Amino acid sequence: MLHLLKIDLKKLTSYLTFWVICGLYFLTLGFTTASGMEILKWLASKGAEFGASININRIPLYHFPDIWQNLIWISGLFKIVLAVMVVISITNEYQYRTLRQNIIDGLSRGEFLKSKILTNVLLSLMSVAMILSIALITGSIYTPEVEWDFFFLGSEFFFAYFLEVFAFLSYALMLGVLVQRSGLTIVLLMLSNMIEAIIKLNIFRSGGEEQIGWLKQFFPLESITNLVPLPFARYAFQEIQDCVTFSAIAIAIIWAILFNYFSYLKLKKSDI
Amino acid sequence: METVLSIQKLTKNFGKLCAVNHLDLEVLRGQVFGLLGPNGSGKTTTLGMLMGVVNLTSGSFSWFGETATHHTRKKIGAVLEHPIFYPYLSGQKNLELNAMIKGADPKNIAKVLDTVELTARKDDKYRTYSLGMKQRLAIASALVSDPIILILDEPTNGLDPMGIAEIREIIKKIAAEGKTIILASHLLDEVQKVCTHFAVLKRGTLMHVGPVDDVGKGEEIVEVHAYHDDLGVLLQEFVGSASIKRESGLYQVMMKDGFHSKDLNHFLFDKGIVASHLATRKKSLEKQFLEILSDTSHKS
Repeated sequence: MLHLLKIDLKKLTSYLTFWVICGLYFLTLGFTTASGMEILKWLASKGAEFGASININRIPLYHFPDIWQNLIWISGLFKIVLAVMVVISITNEYQYRTLRQNIIDGLSRGEFLKSKILTNVLLSLMSVAMILSIALITGSIYTPEVEWDFFFLGSEFFFAYFLEVFAFLSYALMLGVLVQRSGLTIVLLMLSNMIEAIIKLNIFRSGGEEQIGWLKQFFPLESITNLVPLPFARYAFQEIQDCVTFSAIAIAIIWAILFNYFSYLKLKKSDI
Repeated sequence: METVLSIQKLTKNFGKLCAVNHLDLEVLRGQVFGLLGPNGSGKTTTLGMLMGVVNLTSGSFSWFGETATHHTRKKIGAVLEHPIFYPYLSGQKNLELNAMIKGADPKNIAKVLDTVELTARKDDKYRTYSLGMKQRLAIASALVSDPIILILDEPTNGLDPMGIAEIREIIKKIAAEGKTIILASHLLDEVQKVCTHFAVLKRGTLMHVGPVDDVGKGEEIVEVHAYHDDLGVLLQEFVGSASIKRESGLYQVMMKDGFHSKDLNHFLFDKGIVASHLATRKKSLEKQFLEILSDTSHKS
């Protein structure tokens, strides 16, 4: 296992594009999640111009345990950057035909795919570690009274976040294996959410929302976004879902497995 | 001798096209085996199946007497078609990656770089290499696991005469170490120079297999020239001549069985003629190759 991961990392760590994309990803992710208070201040000053006064100290953006869901939801928006990196990594193997040489040299097709999946796991874990540390630091600064059980109240969100990133990277990997061209794959990846939305719209527009609306959660990309619900409406006194549901986790896990299985099937039966 | 590779009824169809058709072949340890055939005759497809990148339609093959898995491939050094490497990695890093995949000792890398004379450029990125250097790096990567058998597919493709000579020397050097080599090529001269055995493929069907030394056995052709006006007529009187051709100022006498150049020389001497040029020509592989290909097209 570790050996396969090392093989894939060996390919990536001397690749400048990898460092640039990952560097940009972790920088923007870090800065954005850490500067929420600044954004709130800016919002408040804008609001003041229009005569609305917002007391930002009453919005517990960075307070335990709210902070977990808040930061993780924001972080989820950045996963597309990592996914583009995954697409480049897999489509390069087709473009340079190195996949073929890897197989000739003695990797099995399954092992080749495993090496890519393991990198996806690593990237997902690194994202989790990044957000966990930012949340711990900012949370300790802004939370008035830190109680130890707050730390554990949000741990489910970290699992959901891991799954969210990993399932999306698996989806990107699958697209790369199926399409094999980097440009086309990246465009498809960007449009995926929209394409899925159009499909859903066409299925559910005939007023069947009440009868078959529950089907929506089973769509692949919807299942990924459903993992961590949008939290900010709670600051406008609305009810939100502030937990991760078991069904959302189960559906996303099944999709993640399916994405990787489809990649495997495609790799297995094609001549390369 | 020990069988390294044994192929039974190997077949590959691409849709309606039959790229390889019921191929049977055996390669023994220590052979330098030339796989010949015109472009598109199924050489690369065959090697692709043997190396696990092309799925078989039917048939089977075994390496070293065992069913092939990806583990057996680790004991084989192979370059199919073009050299394939990560362009953004240096030669050294590319070989490190090959060694990791093959489970080879990284200490071999310095040695194989030396064999192909790339040590001086090992830290430059692969994409800066010339075609000849790329081909040489490919051979180095095939050698890195100290394989029992080496598969080279058109290793001199696109090289200049010097590059071709270099690669040929490398192949000879490797063969001298007792490694088994399978060399696919359409350069017949190449195969005749380095191979011990050869097989000819045509549209996916095996046409011929045998030792290279057998090429040119049987008929003997003697090239002769002498300062005599009616040499052509005279030569026809010689009892040992089967046919006579004139080519670039020389007469080529195809000898009947049991007659040799010395008999012809004797004949001329008796007639009071001294030959200014007398040479025995073996049939070239090229000639035999063309014969094999045309023979069978008559039959089919």
